Amino acid sequence: MTLFDRVFNGSDDMFNLAAKAVDDAINQLGPEAAVSLPNTAYGLPCLYAFTGKKYPTLASLKEEALADIQEFMNHDPQLHNVFTSGVGTALSAEVIETVKYMLNGNEKPYDDRYHGHLSDAEIRELGVPLVTDDIPGVAVLIHEAPSPEIAADLIKGYQAKGIMVFLVGGIIDQAIAADVNLGFKIRIVPLGPELPSVIHVVSVAIRAALIFGACTPGDYDGILKYTFDRVKAFVNAFAPLDDMTVACGGGAIALGFPVMTDETENIWSVPKSLLLYNEYENYVDASIEMRNIKIKITEMDIPVSYAAAFEGEIIRRNDMQLEANGSRLDCFELVRTIDANDIEDHKITLIGKDFEEFEEGGRFNLGLLVEVAGNAMQSDFESVLERKIHHFINNMEGIMHTGQRDNSNIRVSKTAFNAGFRAKHFGEVLYAKMKDEFEAVVDKCQVTVYTDAEECKDFRFNVAIPIWDKRDERLESLTDESVDVFYTCTLCQSFSPSHVCIVTPERLGLCGAVSWLDAKATKELDPSGPCQIVTKGGLIDEVMGSWDDVNAAVAQYSRGALSQVTLYSILEDPMTSCGCFECICGIEPASNGVIIVNREYVGTTPIGMSFGELASMTGGGIQTPGFMGHGKHFIASKKFMRAEGGIERIVWMPKQLKETVADRLNHTAKELYGIDNFVDMIADEETAPDEETLVEFLTEKNHPALSMDPLM
Amino acid sequence: METKILSVLEERISKATENLIAIDVMEAEYAKLLAIGQEKNADSWITRSQNQSPHCKFGETGVCCKICAMGPCRITAKAPKGICGCDVHGIVARNYLRFTAAGSATHSDHGREICHTLHETAEDGNYKIKDPDKLIRLAQEWGIETEGRDIYELAHEVAFEGLQEYGKPFGTLRFLSRATKERQETWAKLGIEPRAIDREVSTSQHMTHIGCSSLPDVLIKQALRAGLSDGWGGSMMGTEFSDIMFGTPKPIDTEANLGVIDKEYVNIMVHGHDPSLSEMIVEHANDADLIALAKSVGAKGVNIVGICCTSNEVTMRHGIPMAGNFLQQENAVLTGAMEAVVVDVQCIFPALGPLSKCFHTKFITTSVVAQMPDAEFIRFNAQTAGENARNILTAAIENFKNRDQEAVYIPQMKAKARVGYSCEAIIKQLDTVTSSYIDELGTWKPLIECIESGVLRGAVAMVGCNNPKVRADFAHIELMKKLLKNDIILVLSGCSAQSAAKGGLMNFEAKDIAGAGIKRVCELANIPPVLHMGSCVDISRMMILVNQVADQWGIDVPQLPVVGCAPEWMSEKAVSIGNYVISTGIDTFLGIVPYVDGSDVVKDILTNQARDWTGAAFTFETDVDKLGDAMIQRIEEKRLALGI
Repeated sequence: MTLFDRVFNGSDDMFNLAAKAVDDAINQLGPEAAVSLPNTAYGLPCLYAFTGKKYPTLASLKEEALADIQEFMNHDPQLHNVFTSGVGTALSAEVIETVKYMLNGNEKPYDDRYHGHLSDAEIRELGVPLVTDDIPGVAVLIHEAPSPEIAADLIKGYQAKGIMVFLVGGIIDQAIAADVNLGFKIRIVPLGPELPSVIHVVSVAIRAALIFGACTPGDYDGILKYTFDRVKAFVNAFAPLDDMTVACGGGAIALGFPVMTDETENIWSVPKSLLLYNEYENYVDASIEMRNIKIKITEMDIPVSYAAAFEGEIIRRNDMQLEANGSRLDCFELVRTIDANDIEDHKITLIGKDFEEFEEGGRFNLGLLVEVAGNAMQSDFESVLERKIHHFINNMEGIMHTGQRDNSNIRVSKTAFNAGFRAKHFGEVLYAKMKDEFEAVVDKCQVTVYTDAEECKDFRFNVAIPIWDKRDERLESLTDESVDVFYTCTLCQSFSPSHVCIVTPERLGLCGAVSWLDAKATKELDPSGPCQIVTKGGLIDEVMGSWDDVNAAVAQYSRGALSQVTLYSILEDPMTSCGCFECICGIEPASNGVIIVNREYVGTTPIGMSFGELASMTGGGIQTPGFMGHGKHFIASKKFMRAEGGIERIVWMPKQLKETVADRLNHTAKELYGIDNFVDMIADEETAPDEETLVEFLTEKNHPALSMDPLM
Repeated sequence: METKILSVLEERISKATENLIAIDVMEAEYAKLLAIGQEKNADSWITRSQNQSPHCKFGETGVCCKICAMGPCRITAKAPKGICGCDVHGIVARNYLRFTAAGSATHSDHGREICHTLHETAEDGNYKIKDPDKLIRLAQEWGIETEGRDIYELAHEVAFEGLQEYGKPFGTLRFLSRATKERQETWAKLGIEPRAIDREVSTSQHMTHIGCSSLPDVLIKQALRAGLSDGWGGSMMGTEFSDIMFGTPKPIDTEANLGVIDKEYVNIMVHGHDPSLSEMIVEHANDADLIALAKSVGAKGVNIVGICCTSNEVTMRHGIPMAGNFLQQENAVLTGAMEAVVVDVQCIFPALGPLSKCFHTKFITTSVVAQMPDAEFIRFNAQTAGENARNILTAAIENFKNRDQEAVYIPQMKAKARVGYSCEAIIKQLDTVTSSYIDELGTWKPLIECIESGVLRGAVAMVGCNNPKVRADFAHIELMKKLLKNDIILVLSGCSAQSAAKGGLMNFEAKDIAGAGIKRVCELANIPPVLHMGSCVDISRMMILVNQVADQWGIDVPQLPVVGCAPEWMSEKAVSIGNYVISTGIDTFLGIVPYVDGSDVVKDILTNQARDWTGAAFTFETDVDKLGDAMIQRIEEKRLALGI
C-alpha cells in the first residue's frame, strides 16, 4: 500500500457513498427534484467550479455529475491523478451534503451544534478581514483530537492568533465539552458531524476563487492556482485516518492546503504538504509555519487574549461585569494631536475609580482619550485613528465594543475582570496598537482613561464635541471637486488580482472600509502600499466622472486588465468590484430605476434575485454594466450614479438598509431635487416583494424614476 | 467553459511548451548563420559531417585494431582474428578501455591543473580562496590539521595532498570514503577500487598493449576502474578545488542562447573546460580602464559569453550568459559580432581558427594542451593570470573597430535560466521546505520524502555532449520534456544543461511543462524543474548526491529510482563518465552506441553482466522515444522493488 493507493481507495469510497446518496434521494424525491444548496448563486459550488456545469435535477446529478466526477478518479500513480482524485473526493462529498439538505427540505440537516453550508454573503463578509490579514489564515480540524483539552487548546491557540477555525467530526463535541465558544461570528465554525461536511469549508475557498478571483468555472488549473497562492488554509487531521480522510487530504493538498496529522500508521511525510507530528503543544505554530503564514504580533501587557477573531464575540448581560453605555451616561473616545513635548510616551493615566470599585453588573462612565504626536501626523488622520478604537477594543477577549465617539457601548465580561482586566488595560491596548498600526505617523502616544462621571461630562461637552463638530465641517467640505487627488485602493488584490478601487471623498471604497481620508492616511503609512495617488488630469466627462489620469491609473494598477472606468456611472465602464462589497445595485427595468441590496439581506428582490445571485453577476475585477458593488455610505452621495440621474433612480432597498441610510439620503434628495422624505418613496420587501407590486407602489408614491429618461 | 479533466494536464503542458524556444526555431536561425558562413566560404560541422558519412564500419563497431604496427587488423567473418590471435571481443574491449582511459586522463588532467592553481593561491595573488569553509571541511576530511592555520598555507597543503592522489605509490583514492559503505565494499570485492589516478590510466594503456590482456571482462573491469579514478578522483578534485577557489555555486539568474551576444558591446566568447582562465577574464572584464577603452572604440562595454563547460563554470558562479553548447561554437562566430574567441582545453573545434579568419574574430588559444592552427597563442599561467587576462581583453576590445557592424546577424533568441545548483545549494533550497518543529536542516530528507511518497517518481541525471549523429539538442530537450511530464526530476550538467537553458527549460516557469508532482515541488521549493549542477567534471557532484541520498534513506545506490542518461554524447570523457556512473550503481542510458557493436560479448558485459558486478549497467537505444520509455520503466521497476 502506498500513499497514492490510499488516496485512490478513499476517493472510490467517497464516490460510492455519493452514488448511493443520489439513489436514495431519487427514491424519496423523484428524479426531477431540483438540486441546490441554500443561499448560494453557484448551485453546487465546487462541482460548478471544477466542471463548469450546473446540475439542475437529481436525474442530472446521477447521470451527468457522477460520470463527470468519475473522470477525476484516474488511478495511474502520478500526483496529477492523486490531485484530481482528491478533488473528485471533495466533489463526491458535496453531492452527499447536498442530498442531506434536499432530504431535509433544503434546510440545514444538522442540529444547533453544527453550522453546515456557508452562504455566499458569509463568504463575502470574510473578504475584508482576509485581505487585511485580520484573518491571517484558516485552520480546518478534522476528527477527534486525543483529548478535549488538546482540542480546546488548539482551537483557542488558533483563535488567539486570529486564525479562523473550521471543525469537522468528533472534535466538535470535544470543543463543546471543553466549553469552547463556537460560531461563525467568532470565527470558529463547527461544520458537521461527519467527514463529508468538510466540503463546506472547501466550498468557501472555491467560491472565493469564483467571487474574488474571477476564476472561470471549469478552469481546473486556474482555481488550484488561486487557492494555492491566495487562500492561506491548512488542515489538522487526527488519527486514526481512514482512506477517505486521506483522499480528502489529497484534495486539500491539491488546493495548496497542507495537512498535519498525528497518524503514524500507513502514512508518508511529504514536505510542506503532509507533515507527521504529535507534539500537540507546538501544533499551532508548526501548522502556521507549514502554510507560510506570517502573524504579526504586538506585545501587549494585558491579561486577556487579543485577536481579530474576538471581534464577533458577544457578551450577554449575565456574563457582564461592567458596562459603559454612551447612550445613557457621558462617555467618549477621542484621538487628538498635541505637541510632542506635552506627551510622555506610553503614559497611561486613570482619572476616577478602577473596576473593582464598581458594583458587579453595574454601569460606569468611560472616556478614552488618545493623544498622539508625530512629524508625519496630520489632523485629517485623527478620525482614521479614532475609528480604529472600535477594533482595538473589540479584539480583546471578553470585551465588547459598539458605536463610536460619544455613543459607544463597552462591556467587560466577568471572565475578563476575573483574569485581572482593569481600566489601565484599555490604555495599554490603545497605546500598543496605535504605535504598531500607525507607526509611520505616530511617534509618541499617551492614553488617559476617565471613569469619573464629572470629568467625563466636562470633557465630552467642552472638548470632544467641539472637536467632532469641527471635523464634520471639514468632512462636509470635502468633495470630489474640492480635492486635488484621488487614491487607488488595491488592498484586495491579494484576493482579487485585477480589481482597483478609485477612492474619492464622495465615493468610498466598495467594501465600506476605506474612505478618502483612510486612503490618504494609508498612503502616508505605507508609501508604496495599496493606496496610491491618482491625479485628476485630462477631464473627459464631468458628469460621468471620467479622467485620463484615472483611466491610466486603473490600467496601471490592474496590470492592463482594465483600461477605462467612470466614477459616476453604472452603465458605462462602471467601477469594478473585488467581491467584498457591502451593497450591490442593479437595474430594475420595469420601473426605470435601480434596486440596492445589502449583504445582510437574505431574501429575494423584485427582480427575482437574491444578494448572492446579483453579486455573482459582478466581482473579481470585471465590469458588468448595469450592476455595481459599492459601500453603504455611497448611497447618499451626490455622485451616486450621477450619470444616470443620481439617487432619484433608487426605487427599492431592504427595509433595514433604508433605515440605515435614511437621514443622509433624505438630506441629499432635498438638496439635489428639493424632495422631502425621499426615502418614503422607496419600496422595500414589505411594500413591494415583486416587480408588479413595485410599480404599483412607485406609481402611488409618484416616484420620480417613473418619469425620467429611459435608463436603457 | 466545461472542463475535460482528462485533458487538463496535456493542455497545460502543451500551452506551457509554447513558451519554450522550439528546436526548429533554433534550427531556422542556425540556417541563416550557415548561409552567412557559406558566403564567406567557411565550412561547418554540418558539411564536414556529411563529408565523413558514411562512417567507417570497422571503426564504428570497434573491430579495427591499430595498437601495434603489424596491422591495422580488421575483424570480419573471413578474418575472425587479428595477426596476434586476439579475437573480436578482445579487440573491441581493448579499444573500449583505451577510449575510457583517454577520457579519464582528460578529466583528471583538468583536475590536476586546478590542484596546481590551488597551490598558487595567495592572499595578494591572482587566485584567492573564496570558500574557506569548504577548504577546511575538505582538509578535515583528509585528516589535515586546520586549527590555527593560515588559510593559504592550508590550501597549499591540501593542493599538495590532492596532487599526491595522482601518483601515490600505495593505497586507494581518498574520496572513495565518500561513497556508501555498500559501494565501497562492492568496489573492493570486484577489485576496481582505483589506486593513484594516473596509475589507472597507465595500467589501462599497459593492459591494452600488444601482448597483454585480451579477456573482455578483465578489460571492462579496468575500464570501470579507470572511470572511477576520474569520477571519484580527478573530476571530484577539479570540482572541489574549483569551489574552494572560485566559490561554491549557488542559485543565480542568467540567460542562454545566441541572443545573449550583444551588438552594442565588445563580445568575448570563453570556451573549453578549465575555469582558471575564464575566472580571470570575468574578473577583469569590468576594470574601469578597460570599460573606458571599450567606450573609446564605440562599444557600450564588454560582454563575456560562454560556450561549452567553461560557460557552465562561469555561469554557475557569476551568471555569465551562455551562448550555447558544443555544436553552437561555430554559430557564435558566424554572428560576426565576436571580437575574440578565447579557449582553454577540450571540445574546441580546430575549425574555429580558419572560421575566425572569415571574420574579424581573434582566435586565442591559451593552453599548451590545446594548440591549433590559425590561432594566436597567449600562454596562460597562474603566476601571470591577471595580466594574461587583461592582455586578452585589451586585444579583443581593440578588435571591435574591425567589426563589420552592417554584416552582423545575431538571432534574437534567448531564454531565462536559473543555474548554480551545487549539492550545497540544493540542500539549502531543501531546507526551505522543512519544518523547524520536525526536521533537521542540511539533509536530503525532503527530496527522499518526495520520491518515497511518489510525488516525484524518480530522478534522471542527464549529461553529455552534442553529436552530429543526432539532431542537435533534440534528444536532450525531448527526453527532458517527457521525463518532466512523468514527474521525474532532472539534474543536468555539461552540454545537456545548456540544451535545457537554451530551450527555456531552466526557467522557473518551465515547471508548467511538468507533471503535477514536479510542478508542485518547484513551486514549494522555488526551483526550476531541471537543476544545473555544472560542467562535465561536476558529474562528481551528482555522485555525491546519490550516495548521500542512499545513505540517508538507508538503502543502496542501485535501489534508488535514479538513472543516468547521455543521449547525444560524443567524447571519450563521456565514456569514462558512463563507466564511473554504472560503477557507482546507477543505470546509464546512452543514445549513441559506443564502438562496441562488433562484439556481442562486450555488449553483454556492458548492458547485462555489469549489473551483477556493480548493480547497474548500460542501456543503448538510439530511438529517443524508446530511450525515454526505457528510463521511465526502469525507474518504476525500482520503485516497485522498494515497495513504494
